[in-house]
Amino acid sequence: MKKPDCIKTLDRKLDQDVLVVTPTGKTYMYWEATGRDAQISQVNLGLCTPVGLGLALALPHRKVVVLDGDGNLLFNLASLADLAVQNPGNLIDIVFDNECYQSCDSFPSATSQGVDLEGIARSCGIKHAITVRDLGDFEKVLDRGLRAGELYFIVAKVEPGEEVVPLPRQEGRENKYRFVRYIERTENVRIINPYSRRRKKDFIPPS
Amino acid sequence: MKEGAVEAIVSGLKHAGINFVSMLPDSDFTDAQRAVMNDKSFVCVPVSNEAIGFGVCAGAWLGGKKPALLITTDGIMASAFPLATLNMQKNIPVLMVVPYRGSLGDGIWFMAPYSFTTEPVLRDLQVAYTVVSKVEEIVPAIKQAQLSAEAWLRPTAVLVTGEIIFEEA
Repeated sequence: MKKPDCIKTLDRKLDQDVLVVTPTGKTYMYWEATGRDAQISQVNLGLCTPVGLGLALALPHRKVVVLDGDGNLLFNLASLADLAVQNPGNLIDIVFDNECYQSCDSFPSATSQGVDLEGIARSCGIKHAITVRDLGDFEKVLDRGLRAGELYFIVAKVEPGEEVVPLPRQEGRENKYRFVRYIERTENVRIINPYSRRRKKDFIPPS
Repeated sequence: MKEGAVEAIVSGLKHAGINFVSMLPDSDFTDAQRAVMNDKSFVCVPVSNEAIGFGVCAGAWLGGKKPALLITTDGIMASAFPLATLNMQKNIPVLMVVPYRGSLGDGIWFMAPYSFTTEPVLRDLQVAYTVVSKVEEIVPAIKQAQLSAEAWLRPTAVLVTGEIIFEEA
C-alpha cells in the first residue's frame, strides 16, 4: 500500500468540514494539495496526536482526523495513553507506518524491529486499534471509523518511498491563520484577539 | 500552600476566561491542581508528560478554547521542543501557572538546577513571565498574563514562588 493512494482515498471520503492534523514531511504536502481550509499542518515530532486530541476535546461535535507517522508517534508514545484515557469519540488517529524515517534517508524506525503500534494502543485501552496493509482494508476501516462515534486508531502499513511533489508555498503561520479563521467562521467564535486590552469607550465590543 | 492561594489560582483562571486546563502533578501544587480538576468550569486533561500538554493546549486553542497549563518548572524543561516548534514557530498562545520549584526555600536537593535554568529557558523560548510571591498578587498576575498571551499570540507564565507554595518546615 502506498501513502499517496491512502491520501487520495481520504480526500474522497472525508467531508470538507472534517478537521485534519498533519505532520511535517510529505504527508502534509500531499494533504495540502487538496486545498482544504480545515487542515492544520506541519505539526512537528510527537505533537500531531496531542494537537488532534486537544482539537477533538475542544470541538466534540466535529470529526477530527490525525495523519501521523510511525517516527512521529514514537517520539511521544505516551500520548497514546492520554488519548486512550480521554477516548474522544470524534477522533480518528491514522498512523502511516513505513517503518522508517523517510525524510532522513529512510533510517529504520523501531517499528521495523517489530514494535507493534496497534498492540501498544490496545494495551493503553483503545478498543478500535487496527492495522491495515492494503488499500481495500484501509477504506473499509476508514468507513467504519467515519460512521462510528468512537475513537479509532488505524495503523496503515505503507511502503517506504515518496512521490516527488511541488514545494508547498504555504508557511506554517499562514496555515495556522487560515485554519483559525476557518474555525472562527464555521463555529462562530472569536479566537484571535489582537487588542485584548483597550479603552472600552472608544470601540464597539467584539462580537 | 499558603491560605487562600488555591482559591486565588482557581479564581484567577476564571477571571482570565480560561476554560481548558492540562496538567501534570507536582508534589507542592496538587491542592491547586485538584481544585481545578474538580471545578466544572474547566475541561481538564491530565497528561503523562508536559510536552503532550502543550500539544493538547495548542489543539484546544485552535478549536476556540482558552487553555492553560498547570505544570512545574521541570515540565518547562521537558517542553522546550513543543514550545519551540508549536508556540514559538506558529505563534500559538498558552498560559502557564507554574509552582516555582527551585525558588529559595525549596529544600529538595534535586530542585536546585531549576533555580538557575527556569528563567533563562523561559526567556530563550520567548515566554513572557511574571514572578509572584504574595497570595494577593495571584489573580491580577494570571489575568494580565492571559491578556498578553491572547494579544501577542505567545505563551506567558506566572511563576508562583516558594513563599506561597511551600508548607512550613
